[in-house]
Amino acid sequence: MMATANSDYANFFPKNRQTRLPGGYMGKILRIDMTTGKLTDLNLPEESLLRKYWGGQLFAEYVLLNELPLDIDPYDPANVIVGMTGPITGTGFTPGGTKMCFVYLSPATRHTLGRGATSGYFGTSLKAAGYDGIIVTGAAQSPKYLYVGEDKVELRDASRVWGKGIRDTEEMLRKESGHQDARIGCIGPAGEHLIRAAMLVNDYNHTAAHGLGAVMGSKKLKAFVAWGTKRPRVHDKNRLIDAGARWAKAISSRKTTVKKRLTSVGHGEDWGAITKLNWRSTIITDEAKGLDQNRVTLRPCFQCPRMCPWDVEIGEGRFKGKVGHFNAGSEWMDTFYNLGFKGNDVLYLSERINDLGIECSHFACGAGLAFEAWEKGVLGPDHTDGLKLEWGNLEAVETLLERCARRETWLGNILADGPKELAEELGGEAKNWVVHTKGGTPAQHEWRPLLSQMLRELVASGGMKPQGAGGAEPPADLRYREKWGPLDPNQPDGWTSSHCWFALNEKPPDGVQSMVDSLNATTGWDVSLDETIDVGHRAIILQSVFGTQRGWIAEHDWQDVGPRFLEPIPDGKYKGFTIAKWLPGLIYEYYRISGRHERTGRPYMDTLTRLGLEEFKEWSQLD
Amino acid sequence: MTTSPIETLTQQYGNLVPTGRLIDGKPRSILFDATKCIGCRHCVQACKDWNDHDRTSLYELSSTNWITMEPPVLEGLSPLWARNSCMHCNFAACAAVCPVEAITKYEEGPVVINKDVCIGCEYCIHACPWEVITKNDITGKASKCTMCSDRISEDKQPFCVQACPVSALDFGFSEEISDKAKKQAEAIGGYIYGEKEAGGGNVVYVLKEVKEKYGVRNIGAEKFPKHKIPLGLMLKDLFTPRCGIAGKLRALYLAIIHPKRLIYRYFS
Repeated sequence: MMATANSDYANFFPKNRQTRLPGGYMGKILRIDMTTGKLTDLNLPEESLLRKYWGGQLFAEYVLLNELPLDIDPYDPANVIVGMTGPITGTGFTPGGTKMCFVYLSPATRHTLGRGATSGYFGTSLKAAGYDGIIVTGAAQSPKYLYVGEDKVELRDASRVWGKGIRDTEEMLRKESGHQDARIGCIGPAGEHLIRAAMLVNDYNHTAAHGLGAVMGSKKLKAFVAWGTKRPRVHDKNRLIDAGARWAKAISSRKTTVKKRLTSVGHGEDWGAITKLNWRSTIITDEAKGLDQNRVTLRPCFQCPRMCPWDVEIGEGRFKGKVGHFNAGSEWMDTFYNLGFKGNDVLYLSERINDLGIECSHFACGAGLAFEAWEKGVLGPDHTDGLKLEWGNLEAVETLLERCARRETWLGNILADGPKELAEELGGEAKNWVVHTKGGTPAQHEWRPLLSQMLRELVASGGMKPQGAGGAEPPADLRYREKWGPLDPNQPDGWTSSHCWFALNEKPPDGVQSMVDSLNATTGWDVSLDETIDVGHRAIILQSVFGTQRGWIAEHDWQDVGPRFLEPIPDGKYKGFTIAKWLPGLIYEYYRISGRHERTGRPYMDTLTRLGLEEFKEWSQLD
Repeated sequence: MTTSPIETLTQQYGNLVPTGRLIDGKPRSILFDATKCIGCRHCVQACKDWNDHDRTSLYELSSTNWITMEPPVLEGLSPLWARNSCMHCNFAACAAVCPVEAITKYEEGPVVINKDVCIGCEYCIHACPWEVITKNDITGKASKCTMCSDRISEDKQPFCVQACPVSALDFGFSEEISDKAKKQAEAIGGYIYGEKEAGGGNVVYVLKEVKEKYGVRNIGAEKFPKHKIPLGLMLKDLFTPRCGIAGKLRALYLAIIHPKRLIYRYFS
C-alpha cells in the first residue's frame, strides 16, 4: 500500500511540461531502479508545484511520501532514496548555494523520516550533468555505482572499490571517470555492512548522515559520481549578484578563520560545554592542546565565503604528519572527547571514523555507553574480545571503530545497531546511561544547556541532525510577525529551503531577506517572507506525517529518549539545568502552535488546508 | 606626475599596440597574494560565472576557463598555490603581433581581445610569454581573461577579486596596489612578481618561496619579449583560405598603414 491514496502524484512529473521552467532548475530528475538497472529521465513538475514544494528537503519529502510503501523495513529493496538540490544550488552567485538533501525511511529509527543533507560540490556537479535530483529504488545483486555525466548516465560495476574506505573510493572513482573534476559521494565499509547510522561522504569534507549510507549499502550502491559542464540558467543575474553580495555581507561576521581551528575545541566553545566521558562532564579543560601546532587549510564549499570545511595536517604528537578532512561542525571532536581523548588524537580518530563512514554521534553514544559499562563493571572482557574499554585507550577505540564498521564481534555488531540496542542488551541500570532520540542520536554536542536546541533535537526525526532553533530574539527581518518566539513552529528546519543553514545569519537586518531575494532573482518568482515560512512549515508537517504513517506519536519525543539526555547537567556552569523540568509541556506547546495535536502530533485539517496539503488528510487529527 | 606605461611604450617602440580608454584612464591592477591563497578556486569559478562560461575543467586554460590555480590538484590539497592567467602586460606582445589589431591595451590596465575582429590566426597564442591565450574550438577565435574590462567600465572590480573569500586577490589603482604589494612582501619576507617580468603589467603577485615552488614562469624584464611565430603557420595564413578573405585584406591594409608593426611581428 502506498502512503497517499488521494494524491495527484501520477501527474507530478509531466511527460511534457506546460509551464515555464523557473531559473535555477535544470529540468530533470533521474530515476534509478537498482533491481533492473533501468534509468529514466523525469521532467520536473509544473512551475506552480515547484514553487509550492521549492527547495531540497520539502520537494524530496513530497516525492518520498508518494513513492514509499508503508510497513517496510529500511533495508527492504522497496525503500526509496530521494535526493534533491534546490534552485539556488550551483548558481555560483550566493553563499550556501551548495546543498543537496536526501530523504528515505531512516534505518536509525526504523519508523521516521531519514534525512541526510550535504554540501560541498556534489550538488553543483549533479546540476552540471543536467539533473536537479535523483530517485533510487530497488536493490542490485552486486556492488554498483552510479555515473551521472552529461556524456552518459549508467550503473557501473563497483566491485573494485567495494570494501574500500571513503578516501580511496573517491580517488579511484574520480580516476576511473576520466574527469579530474568529477565529484563523488560514496559510502565506506560502514555503509556496506549496514551500520544503522552509516554516512554518505562527498568531496572529502562533507557528510550526509542519518543512515543514508546504510540504505545505499542495502541497495549495493557504493557511490554517485557526477560530472558535467552545464550551469543553471538564472532569471536575473545582476539582481542575483546583488542579493548574493548582501547575503555574503550578512554572514561575513561568521566566517571561519584558521585561528579558530587552531585553538578551539569546536562548536561547544560558543556556549562553554562539551561532551565528555559519556555525557558525564561538560567542562572544557585542555582538550585543544597541540592543535596550534597543526597546519590548517580552510576548504570552502562551492563559492561560499563562510568557509566552514577545513583540512588539517597534524603538527605534533604521535600522529604528526597525518592529514584529516572535516566539515563545518565539530561533532567528531565531541565524539572523541566523549571517549576520553584530547588534542590531536581527536583529529586523528575523526579522520578514521570519516573514512570508515560511521556517523560520529552514533559511535560516540554507543561506545560511550560501553566504556561507562566497563568502568562500572557491567561489561567485562568476555564481551570485548580482548579490548580494554578504558577512557582514552586509543588502541581500543581504533579497533572498535573497525569492528563496528564491519559488524565484527559481539560488541562491534551491537554498536553498529546503535546505543539504544546496546542499552537494552546490557539491561538494568545501564539503560539509564544511554543517550539517544527515538533510536537515533543527536548531533554530538552538549546541547543540554540550550533549551531551544534541545527542543529541536527532541522533536526532530530521531538522529536526523536537525537544524534551526536559536536565541530568544526573532530574526531581524521577521520582527513584523506578531507570533514569534523560540517555539515558533517554523524555526526548526524552516530555512532549509535549498541553501546551507551554516550560511544563514538571521540576526542582522537583511540576513533573511537577502536569501529570499536571491531565490527570487534566480527563479523569477516574487516569494515573500511569509510564503517562505509557509514552505518551511510544509516541510515540517510532511516530516511528521511521514512519522505518523509509521506509528510515531508526539509522546515518543520525550519518552523514546535515552535518559542521560534528559538528566540535569552534571557539572560546569550549567550544573543542574535540564529541559526535563518543562517536559512534556514544552513539546505540547510546540505541536499546538505548529497546528498539530499535542499528543498525537497529527496536523489538524485546517493546518493541511492552509498549506495546501489536503491530500494527506487521511493522516490528520480529526477531532 | 608619473608617466603612464602606455606613454612610455609609445615613446620607445612607436605605436605597436592599439590602445584605448574605458572610463577614466587611471591604471588599475590586480594583486594576487600567494601567502593568503587557500586554493579554493572560487576565483576560477567566478570567472566562469561572470562570463557565462560552461562549467568546463578548472584545471587547464581554455576558451571557457581563463584562470587556473596551480598545481592541478583538488582544492585545498596543496600547501602553495599560484594564479595562472593573463598578466595584462604593459608591453603586450599579443597585441603587437595581431595582424588585424583585434587586441587592445586599455589605459586602465586590461588587455582585451575583440572576438568580433579576431580572425583566429593564433599569432597571439604563440607570442604570449605567459602562454595564457587559448583558441575556442568552435568559433576559432583567440580567448583569454579580460580583467573584467566590462566591469571596470562600470567602476567595479573584476569578479574573481570579488569572489575571493580570503582576500588573496585585491584590486585598485596601480600605485596603491604596488604599495600594498611592497608592504606585504616586506612583512612576510617575500618578493613581488609580475612588476618587472616582460616589462611589467597590471597583475602583480606577492610570493614567499622561490618561483619554482609555485610553478610560475621565469621571465626576464625585457619589454615585448622575443616571440616566435612558426613559419608554417605564417605561410598557412598567407597562402590558404585560413582566416578568411576579409581578414587577409584587413591585415594587408593595417600592414601598409602600420609598417613598424609588420616589422616587429615578422622580423624582431
